[in-house]
This record gives sequence, C-alpha cells and structure tokens, in this order.
Amino acid sequence: MSGASLTTAILGTAMLWLVSAALALALAGLLAWGSTAPSRPVALGARAAVNVFRGIPTSLYVIAAGLLALRLPGGAPPALFPGTDRSFQIVALAICVALALGSAGHLAEIFLAARRALGRPRIEAIRVLGLGAPARARVVAREAAPVALAPTGSRMVHHLHNTAFAGLFPVVEVYGHVDAEANATFRVGDAVLTGCLVYIALSAVVWLGFRLAEQALTPAVSGPEPPRPWSSTS
Amino acid sequence: MVLDLLIGLPGDRPGGLLLSVLLGLGAGAAALALGFAYAAACSAGRAFGLPLQGASALLRGIPLILLAFGVAELVSVPLALAGLLALTLYSLSHTGEILRGFLAAYPAENAAQARVMGIGPIREWVTLRIPHVLRDALGALQTHWISLLKDSGALVVIGVGELTTTAKLLTDRSADTGYWLGVLGLAAGFYLLTTLALIAAVRRIGGPVGEH
Repeated sequence: MSGASLTTAILGTAMLWLVSAALALALAGLLAWGSTAPSRPVALGARAAVNVFRGIPTSLYVIAAGLLALRLPGGAPPALFPGTDRSFQIVALAICVALALGSAGHLAEIFLAARRALGRPRIEAIRVLGLGAPARARVVAREAAPVALAPTGSRMVHHLHNTAFAGLFPVVEVYGHVDAEANATFRVGDAVLTGCLVYIALSAVVWLGFRLAEQALTPAVSGPEPPRPWSSTS
Repeated sequence: MVLDLLIGLPGDRPGGLLLSVLLGLGAGAAALALGFAYAAACSAGRAFGLPLQGASALLRGIPLILLAFGVAELVSVPLALAGLLALTLYSLSHTGEILRGFLAAYPAENAAQARVMGIGPIREWVTLRIPHVLRDALGALQTHWISLLKDSGALVVIGVGELTTTAKLLTDRSADTGYWLGVLGLAAGFYLLTTLALIAAVRRIGGPVGEH
C-alpha cells in the first residue's frame, strides 16, 4: 500500500470530517434552539426536522447529495479536499452537507437532553440574569457542555465512520482507498487491516479530544459542593 | 417501483425494506443474546472483562461499511450472511456495552434475596436478572436498534439488496433527476415509517421508555 496515497486519503477523511462536523454542530445548535423557541410554529418545525433528520439513513443522504452534485453545471469550488479531483470537489462538498444532515438530528437531541439536565431552576436563574438572547444561549451552552460533550464525542466518532460513505463517489478518503487497494493488489486482508487501524486511530483521536474538552470544562469538585443560589433545596 | 423497494427487485427477493428489517431483527437478536454473554463474562472478573472490553472498543472504532466490506471479502459465505455477520458484530460492540453497564447496576440485594428464597443461579438469571436489565436498558437499546436499522444501509457497499441498495440500483436505471429523487425520497419515507413503527413497538412491549 502506497504511503503517500494513504496519507492523502487520511487527510481527505479528516477534511470531510472537519467540514461536515462543523456544519452538523451549527445545524444541530439551530435545531435545538428552534425546539425550545417560544414560538409554537418554530418549535414544531424544529422538532419535525429533528425527527426527519434522525429517521433517514446517512447513506441515503450521501447517495442523493452525490448524484445531485454530479449533475450540477461547471464552476469548480476551491480545492478543499486533498487528493480529490478538482471536478469532484463540489461532490465532496455536497457529501459534507449530507453527512451534516445525517448527524444534526442526533446532535440536536443530545444538546436538548443536556439542557434538560441543567434543570428548570438553573435555566430560570440564567433567564433572570437579564442577558440578551445570544449571551443567554452562550451561558446555557457553557453550563450544559460538560453533560453534552461525552455523547457528542460518541456521535462525532460515528460521524467520522459515516465519512466512509464518500467512498461511493470519486472522493479521496480512507474507505475508498482501502477498496481501491484491495481491487488493485488483491491483498484484501492487508488493505482492510490498514483501514481498520487508521479508523481506530482516528476514532481514538476524536474520542480523546472530546474527553479532554470534557475534563477542561467540568468544574473540579473538592469537598462538598456549596449550595447554588438557584438550587431547589436552598 | 414501490413493490421493488418494499420486497426487492424481481429475482433478488426477499430484498428492499423486507430484507433491511430481517437483517436488523436477526442482527439485533443475535447481538442481544451475545451481548448478555459478553456482559456476564465482563462481570465475572477483570481477567475476562478487560480483554473483552478492549476488543469491543476496537470493534467500535471500525466503520460498519469497512466491517461489511472486510467480512464479505474475507469470509466465504453468501453476501446476505456476510451482511448479517457484519451487522451482528457492529451491534454486539454497542449492545454489549449497554448491557454491561446496566448489569453492573443490578441491585445486589435482589441476588441475595433470590439466594435466600432458594432460587438457583441459572433460574435467577433467567427469571429475575435478565428481565430487570432488559427493562432498564430498553431506552438505550431502542436508540441503538433504530440506528441499526438505518445503518443496515451501509451494506450497499457489498450489494446485499436491502432497501438502500435497491434504491441505488433503481436510480442507476434512469438519468431523469425527478425519477431518482422520487425513488430516494420514497426509500427515505419507508425508513422513517419503519423507525416510527419500531419506536411504537418497543413502547408497546416495554411501556413508555423511562417510565418503569
């Protein structure tokens, strides 16, 4: 297996993950915010979107996005994805959007669960601070982050695995590389083993990153925690 | 087209949604049985538990799409069986951990009480421990089963003939964008409806999740 092309494939997977994960997190934040909006139509629309996004397999999103992008007329976007031909960069970008749709519903559910875990008294306490909506959302996000980071990390590992669907199209990433190497060399075992090791290592990096963020954001507890001013027992 | 998506293409039946459901049910049931064995082995002691948990963690690091590709290429079995095997391994790596966690939380006093009442260990597992753990873990298992049904779409890489593969084969037949968007939309709708049916079925079996 050629080292250079495997490196390019790893970079391709990393870029697919980065772009699609950023899109997924942004969309999930929007859906979670919409689900808790005071406006009933907005909340219902956001809930419906969450359920639809969660109910459809990522593989279908990727196939639809890839086929659509293949039919788009010319105009190549900037080369974001290493190794992928310039003419298929738009396909890679469309696949990122598809991957984001596949994860956004799950992430929105995680964010909502973490918000619920804060408890109504804490949410009310943040509300009475008199902050504007964006500042209030930032405070809620900061408070809920320690709860949300572990399941978000798990989902992001799953999201990394979903980038393999890009291998169904001419986009350079690890699964496509494994498939191509297996077909070219007939050393299927070697190709699959290399792919497994790469994905395990990448998964470990993602998992570790989220664990470190979780540790950094979780307040250290030494001795009994003082009662919070908004605690229901105080 | 609708019939093809539901039961597979002519000459390749059962396929489509029916095969997706059969594969999901088969893999889910096999993983549940093996998951209990895994959880029991892990609870037996660190000598068993640590290597098993390490292997499970490594398995969870491998994408299903690569697992399916590897099993189909390296194990000489029919494609549907290879798909089932890959799905089972994938499901086991998640189900086993879910059950391990809930088994560890099984109240020790229940086991002690069973011993006092003269209930043997095997009967205690079958009549008390397994139902208790299943009831507690139902919410987490439901989430995993929904994911499993949708993830069966990853078997498109080995061409098993389940719903995603059938939809992809149908889209290959026409260059008309409206036609294949319709096919993919219909397949998405079938997945969505099946997911909702699965949620309703689990609720009916176990009561509303979290309310036991």
